Amino acid sequence: MSKTTQAPKALRGVGNFIDDRFHLAKTGEKNLRKVFPNHWSFMLGEIALYSFIILLVTGVFLTLWFKPSMLEVVYDGSYERLQGVPMSEAFASTLHIDFDVRGGFLVRQIHHWAALIFVASLVVHMLRVFFTGAFRKPREINWLIGVAIFALAMVEGLFGYSLPDDLPSGMGIRILQGVMLAIPLVGSYISMFLFGGEFPGEDIITRLYMLHVLLLPAILLALIVAHFMILWHQKHTQYPGQGRTDKKVVGTPMFPAFAVKAGGFFFFTFAVIAGLSAFVQINPVHLFGPFTPTSITSGLQPDWYMGFLEGSLRIFPNTLDFTIPIGQGYPIVTAVLIPGLGIMGLLFGALGAWPFIEQWITGDKRARNVADRPRNAPTRTALGVGGIVFYGLLWLAGSNDILSETFSINLYLTTYIFRVLIFVGPVLGYVITKRICLGLQRRDRETLEHGYESGIIQQLPSGEFIEVHKESSAETTHVLESKPVISSTALEEPETDDKGVENPNARKGMGRFRRALAHWYTKDNVSFEGVEAHTGHHLHHGAENEGKGH
Amino acid sequence: MTRNGETVKWITARRRHPLAGYAVVILALALFGVGFAALAPTSDEARAQTLSAEAPSPEDVDVANGKAIFDQTCASCHNYDGSGTFAEDEDGNREMTNGPDLREVGPASVDFQVSTGRMPSMDPDNQMPRRDMVMSEQDLADLIAYYNESIRTDDAGAEIPYDVPGTPPERADFEDEESYETALEDYETEYDAYIEGAEDVDMGMKLYLTNCAHCHSWSGGGGALTDGRWAPELHDSTPREIYEAMVSGPGAMPMFSDGVITPEEKQELISYVKTLQAEPNAGGFFDLERVGQVAEGFIGWTIGLSLIIACAIWITAKQRAHD
Repeated sequence: MSKTTQAPKALRGVGNFIDDRFHLAKTGEKNLRKVFPNHWSFMLGEIALYSFIILLVTGVFLTLWFKPSMLEVVYDGSYERLQGVPMSEAFASTLHIDFDVRGGFLVRQIHHWAALIFVASLVVHMLRVFFTGAFRKPREINWLIGVAIFALAMVEGLFGYSLPDDLPSGMGIRILQGVMLAIPLVGSYISMFLFGGEFPGEDIITRLYMLHVLLLPAILLALIVAHFMILWHQKHTQYPGQGRTDKKVVGTPMFPAFAVKAGGFFFFTFAVIAGLSAFVQINPVHLFGPFTPTSITSGLQPDWYMGFLEGSLRIFPNTLDFTIPIGQGYPIVTAVLIPGLGIMGLLFGALGAWPFIEQWITGDKRARNVADRPRNAPTRTALGVGGIVFYGLLWLAGSNDILSETFSINLYLTTYIFRVLIFVGPVLGYVITKRICLGLQRRDRETLEHGYESGIIQQLPSGEFIEVHKESSAETTHVLESKPVISSTALEEPETDDKGVENPNARKGMGRFRRALAHWYTKDNVSFEGVEAHTGHHLHHGAENEGKGH
Repeated sequence: MTRNGETVKWITARRRHPLAGYAVVILALALFGVGFAALAPTSDEARAQTLSAEAPSPEDVDVANGKAIFDQTCASCHNYDGSGTFAEDEDGNREMTNGPDLREVGPASVDFQVSTGRMPSMDPDNQMPRRDMVMSEQDLADLIAYYNESIRTDDAGAEIPYDVPGTPPERADFEDEESYETALEDYETEYDAYIEGAEDVDMGMKLYLTNCAHCHSWSGGGGALTDGRWAPELHDSTPREIYEAMVSGPGAMPMFSDGVITPEEKQELISYVKTLQAEPNAGGFFDLERVGQVAEGFIGWTIGLSLIIACAIWITAKQRAHD
């Protein structure tokens, strides 16, 4: 541009006034020019942010009419079917939002769909970070914050689900209480404290309301802000490519390009959620009716993110329960304790610990700003898939009655199938994924050496047909060549020093364990050593020549 | 359309179009979908005929025909005298082999099992699904008359609740349109009077959610039970069939006699189920069969999140092209 356009005088005046006092121009310029790498998988976390914003806005709307009270009233609103039915004020006010507040029904459905999408996008975002190794130094703290957001989002969702005091609400709370009671020693005290007495009492909705609209959203918001500030400070990871290094980020500047795209993406996210809410009925509390402690129904589940806990409760055998013979006997209900709390602890514990475990195994202390391609870290990728299979099977098991009915499978049979699969499935997932990763690595090596298959068939003078391979682009070549070598400092230490004395690290229990893990973590890997781009002597011959000596 | 100077068909010119593959897949899916919808049995066809509101008078039934039907279609499992088929195991205990003793089940049970098409059963070892009744309305009346006269012992078991509306009349059973429409109108009046005669929604709801929903689910959509059995959905059931199921306790279902749940309470309960079923889905066009959270989670992932991610892919793809 030859001529710079100037802002109108009035605006310039205000701008200068502010800048003279706060020196915002420099900071603003720096932050607005901040670069974001482009890849669709880097947008997954944004879905979570946008659905969280939608949740906050619709949530505020709902609080204007919702009455978090368990006071019994007789319904006389405009929903005819339930007129004259005694119910809690919480349920009655939810019906009021649905049928007497303009747009209330739609907003309630948006709030619920946004919650489902929020947690789902947290999961896919977290998986992206895991599989690309973006949790490695320097991002371990942000990973931990992410895990905390995930855990809190689940609890927040459960509490929100419980507020309307409809049939599934009460059933969910009942399970929550059951899990609390299973905690040894303090279980019954925690339950009595939370419910203000026996289940269901008269306080629980009011207390969950406070947690749902005040405490948990505030913590979530604080964590999300921290997550972003750290991201901003550390800059985003990027996939390998030309000019991209651990010290240099390549991407689109924040303003204007990225901001416009991200803004548009917000509206698309909102459109999908609003579209679902307009056309697909979710959690129809008016059909469920109010909860009473005697009511119970089959075919209802918690929202999807609690499904894995439901599943672990359903398939865990009750034969491991035992009684400690003190006084009258003190029962330990392992069939609730382990699947209800143990599995949750296992999930979040494993997620939180993994970055540190991996760092301990590899001894990798460098800052990593270039993301791994998942195939290039086969053990981690396979472990992740094993975890997905484990979680997915528990999640499926949580809907075993629906599966049983929909597909006409014996209900007990599904339980036995899941009990076997929960052990076999993750192992299979691990082995198969690792093989696939190594296969992809081999293909990468071949592409690097021989170029890509052009689809052109040539006939040689001898009559032989061959497919012509062409050289890959410089970008592709760079990506393939940048494959990192998976190594561990534990294996670099020799077992004996030059005087033949055994390495003390290799002799101690922990050291031996670490070496074993390091061996497991690094052993399966296709070496690219000595491979040079496009040197396969034959840009026209394929895999058949591999191994014949290039 | 010409190619190399030759005229080719419209379709030939486009079959290698990049979108052709997708078009074929969409067309094939549409064809299967529409074809299935056209061929699949509808719930209207699955309706059985019903008896009129009053018990049939002795002149209208043919007991001899009832005996013929019983001997032909029931006796192979339930025995000629309705005492069932049993065998003794090694310890001398009597064990049912094909069919149970019918002498004390009562006519409500017979009416329920036959009118819902569950009896005669093809496979005594498995739970029968609901299907079209295999005999005519008259045959069923004859069969019940024979049952009452010759098989039933000491008037045991529950009577058929003739005052509770059964299935609507069908056009095929009437000579002309006019008499059919009169019968239909009568039926609808009777049905509405029964459903709307219940006024205590709270009682109906509490009775249903306490006694029925843990198997048939809150929506009446049915659910899985233990040992490969299932609780059927109630949507096709007539009020009379629901009533008969309660008083006779078919299969794994417990019996709720008129002493436990009075006829008035049963009316409240049936009215609750049928009113809930007829309730429009205020939350949107797609009700997900009222399956609930499993279906919602499935849609949230497969449609909601997938669409949003597809958009992310689209946005970033554009960005890369322009940078």
